[in-house]
Amino acid sequence: MAIEHLLYLSAFLFSIGLVIIITKRNAIMMLLGIELMLNAANLNLVAFGYDGKIEGQVFALFVVIVAVCEAAVGMAIVLRVYHYYTTSVPDDISNLKEQR
Amino acid sequence: MQLSLTDQLQWIADSTSILVPELILVAGILSVILLNIFRVVHFRIYGAVAIASVTLSGLSVLLHWHTDPVSLFNHLLRADDFSSAYKLLFALGTLLTFLLSLSSGTSNKPAEYCSLLLTATLGANLLVMSTSFIMVILSLELISISTYVLAGFHFTKPGAEGSLKYFLFGSAATAIMIYGISLLFGLSGTLNFTSSEFVSHLIAQHSSLVMLSGFFILAGFLFKASAVPFHLWAPDVYEAAPLPVVAFLSVVPKLAGVAALLKFTLAINLFGQSFFDWQTVIAAVAILSIVVGNLSALAQKEAKRMMAYSSIAQAGFLMAAMAPLSLQSMQFMIFYSAVFLIMNFAVFTLLQQFETTYKTTSIHALAGLAKTALIPSVLLTMALIALTGLPPTAGFTAKLFVFSSIWEAFTGTGKSILLWLLLIGLLNTVISLFFYLKIPFYLFIRANTLTEPASAKSFTFTNLLGLVLVIALFVFFFYPALLMGWLNRINFVL
Repeated sequence: MAIEHLLYLSAFLFSIGLVIIITKRNAIMMLLGIELMLNAANLNLVAFGYDGKIEGQVFALFVVIVAVCEAAVGMAIVLRVYHYYTTSVPDDISNLKEQR
Repeated sequence: MQLSLTDQLQWIADSTSILVPELILVAGILSVILLNIFRVVHFRIYGAVAIASVTLSGLSVLLHWHTDPVSLFNHLLRADDFSSAYKLLFALGTLLTFLLSLSSGTSNKPAEYCSLLLTATLGANLLVMSTSFIMVILSLELISISTYVLAGFHFTKPGAEGSLKYFLFGSAATAIMIYGISLLFGLSGTLNFTSSEFVSHLIAQHSSLVMLSGFFILAGFLFKASAVPFHLWAPDVYEAAPLPVVAFLSVVPKLAGVAALLKFTLAINLFGQSFFDWQTVIAAVAILSIVVGNLSALAQKEAKRMMAYSSIAQAGFLMAAMAPLSLQSMQFMIFYSAVFLIMNFAVFTLLQQFETTYKTTSIHALAGLAKTALIPSVLLTMALIALTGLPPTAGFTAKLFVFSSIWEAFTGTGKSILLWLLLIGLLNTVISLFFYLKIPFYLFIRANTLTEPASAKSFTFTNLLGLVLVIALFVFFFYPALLMGWLNRINFVL
């Protein structure tokens, strides 16, 4: 399989992730979109390491770890928001803007 | 370059001994967590440990100043003059944050608060040192994840909201940045953006993919700097977060983002040999940040929200300082960063004084308070004059340096965008007068229509801190050579 196919796949994944972030209103769905974008990047990094460049694969591992940390903190924040507002839709939460 | 295992281990051992400031911060974080295990409850004890580790870290930066750049850990990090100067600023900023937090009284989770602030500082230190995209991402995330939590540290309804918005924006920006890095890795074949391989491979590439990946990577830095396309989180977070955290967010991560952005821009600009003009991009983002920040700040009624927009505009000025991409402009950028740190902390320290006394930071509620709280009112006015960029404060000196270096770059290159940057920057200094001086206007001229305000103590620790910072602003106006002489001795290496 040529490397181009993998790049097209990763570009496709990245676009899906970006569209999810822009169109979906739920914070959990947005987290999913972010995860897709990160995995698209991982796919690129591993694909570009085809000729023995180990750097990219190491970076991909780091990205996985970073994504896990981010998701953990993100879930905690979403949980706290849900506790206060009983919703996880960011558009419905607008205490801060009303004060203007 | 392949090294034998013993050489590599030796390199790791040597690198660790250079990393003293960061190791001290790590020791501080661990001891704060350790104290928490022993159920220490006093905020002052945690604060003392944190202050000690930040101060020691700053001192060790001074003691182990690296004039010659040293590469660490297989070219992941590099200790040089530029990063040392910024590390000193971060140590000062975090120290001021801790002093501010201690003077504001108790914190409801002191151990977590101190360790998260120290972690964010560690991330900032590593970010300005990094020469590899792996370290850029790791240190950016170190700052981001700890500040996501800090943003909600009031544990209130708005706090949770601000923190959620910050998180969603931040993680989306990071994801875009990592995708850009993955593309650039494919194009250049290396993750080290200061290596000769990076430059030589990218000069050969004329595809628009280089441009696209460059823009994607800018996203992450601009988010940290809260510059224009990625500034939307700032007002909500600043309004909802505790004041010391806001002061920290508006200085340390911002300066780290801008400093790393400078390193990255110099790299991707390929010493002026890039087919795409990145200087124009930086200048355009600077113009947009200055305009959007200042115009939005005009309509604000809440001091913290106003300071958020002000800090967006100041991010624009920091980027304007770096736009000439010359050696001199880097010195002026560090000068501007140092002055910006002092004046921003001065404003937030004095706002803290008003918040603890009157429980509000709404500008209307400040009406007529100069009668009861004269000293903080006068000091706050001085600090705001410095932020506007008027003499006799260091804010004027810093802006003068920035504008003169942009003018020099314009006469050198003849790029019209630099002239626009200069003109719009000057014009916006006038615009910013209207909102910065709104606070003194309410303090001194408007009469208090509400009930008689409680009289405030004049001699508090917060006031003293504010006084010291404001005096520093005057000192750097009359003797800019104190700082510039020192900056002139710094040699910058990409």
